[in-house]
Amino acid sequence: MKVETKKIEDKKFEVFIEGRVDTNSATDFQNEIMKLSDEPGADIQIDCSELAYTSSQGLRVFLMLQKSLNSNGSKMVLKKLQPQVKEVFDITGFSNIITIE
Amino acid sequence: MKDYGLDLHCQMILEDYASNLDLYIKLSSIVQKTIKSALRSNTIFVTGVEGRVKTEQSMAGKLELKGAKYHSIEDITDIVGVRVITFYSEDVDKISAIIEKCFNIDWDNSVDKRKMHSLDSFGYMSLHYICRLPKESLTHDEDSRLTDIPFELQMRTALQHVWANMYHDTGYKSGVDVPKELLRNLNRLAGMLELADDEFSRIRTTITDYRRLVKNLVDDGKFDDVQLNTDTFKTYLDLKPFDKINKKIAAINQAEIHNSSMLPYLAILKNLGFQTLGDIDRLITDYGYDAYLLALHEIGGTDIDIISSTVAIQDLCIVWIIENGGSEGDLVKFFNELLGANTYNQQRAKRVMDKAESLSLVKKRIANT
Repeated sequence: MKVETKKIEDKKFEVFIEGRVDTNSATDFQNEIMKLSDEPGADIQIDCSELAYTSSQGLRVFLMLQKSLNSNGSKMVLKKLQPQVKEVFDITGFSNIITIE
Repeated sequence: MKDYGLDLHCQMILEDYASNLDLYIKLSSIVQKTIKSALRSNTIFVTGVEGRVKTEQSMAGKLELKGAKYHSIEDITDIVGVRVITFYSEDVDKISAIIEKCFNIDWDNSVDKRKMHSLDSFGYMSLHYICRLPKESLTHDEDSRLTDIPFELQMRTALQHVWANMYHDTGYKSGVDVPKELLRNLNRLAGMLELADDEFSRIRTTITDYRRLVKNLVDDGKFDDVQLNTDTFKTYLDLKPFDKINKKIAAINQAEIHNSSMLPYLAILKNLGFQTLGDIDRLITDYGYDAYLLALHEIGGTDIDIISSTVAIQDLCIVWIIENGGSEGDLVKFFNELLGANTYNQQRAKRVMDKAESLSLVKKRIANT
């Protein structure tokens, strides 16, 4: 699992996630992605085109990030989800909670 | 200090004012904090609590006009002024009762200008109290002179506040000064605002009565008598009607349930044709098992151990659409309304429809239609 963050412009970030978020990689994923909540009022676009799988642990991390971003006036959008990843968000009802475009 | 051309007596009062200025500022701050805290603990919401200390120039103006009637600085009661602006007229009375407990009121100098209304009365007035801080309200390190300084407290509605500000802008000090041509128009305006205040109060009472009625009907289970809207849906959600299905779905994988708002579903339920809480209750009773079957088919066999509390209502809507003759296009429309139009919704509708085919949901559709 790999997370790359690029600052596009002031307070605008593009994040690229590659690989699988599962029990083995969830902690690293959390440590990497929670750094995004350091900048208040940020606009974060997460490119999931190379995210092959997310377990419930991954959902929890996205949820944690979303809560943290909401509290500091930032927003996050998940983009380009592969069908099997999108399905996980759908069947758990997380598509209702997390913004997916 | 600037020379305002005052006589010696007034000049001395003005000098006392200047030397007390820090105390006045402190007093204004204590009074505002005390009021805000009392309103908070009595859960009364107001549009604002504001305070001001008279400026030196304004003091000089006052002394120039009526300095002779003041023996000393203590006789001027409005150097510190604090105002509470309420939403509703009845809140003025409620707040005045609270304020009477917070401060010592000088009843001889306090006026309820609202009671001065008569056929020939002028304006749209507020309640004015002249107060002092009680000795016990000060902490040990605060200056005891703070309890000797009078301050004026005004309580008025937002509309009374508007009237007072607009009137102040005309530059006239009292109704007597106002030219007759203007007096009629100002009084017309005051009357209109008073009517508006009464009407807002009436609307609030109606809303409170309506919510009480809805709660009683919901508590008594008379769901068919309750029209579906934001108020009623919220009251219904307090009964946690989707909990049973959510828990059953969560039990499939011993999953944790993450609580999320179900209010976004209100507009969707209305668009689907649900009109009363009774309709929603029947949705749960009649389609609950099939919603569970759909979730079982989707979540069973995965290692997912977290779901959102919106899963039950989401799957209930999906099942209802399919079993009532809805097409893949209707599912797309549902997902578009729920999540905004995006390219995933078509794929998702197809996937759900395929699952419905493999379950008995589509057959039920045929039977229902």
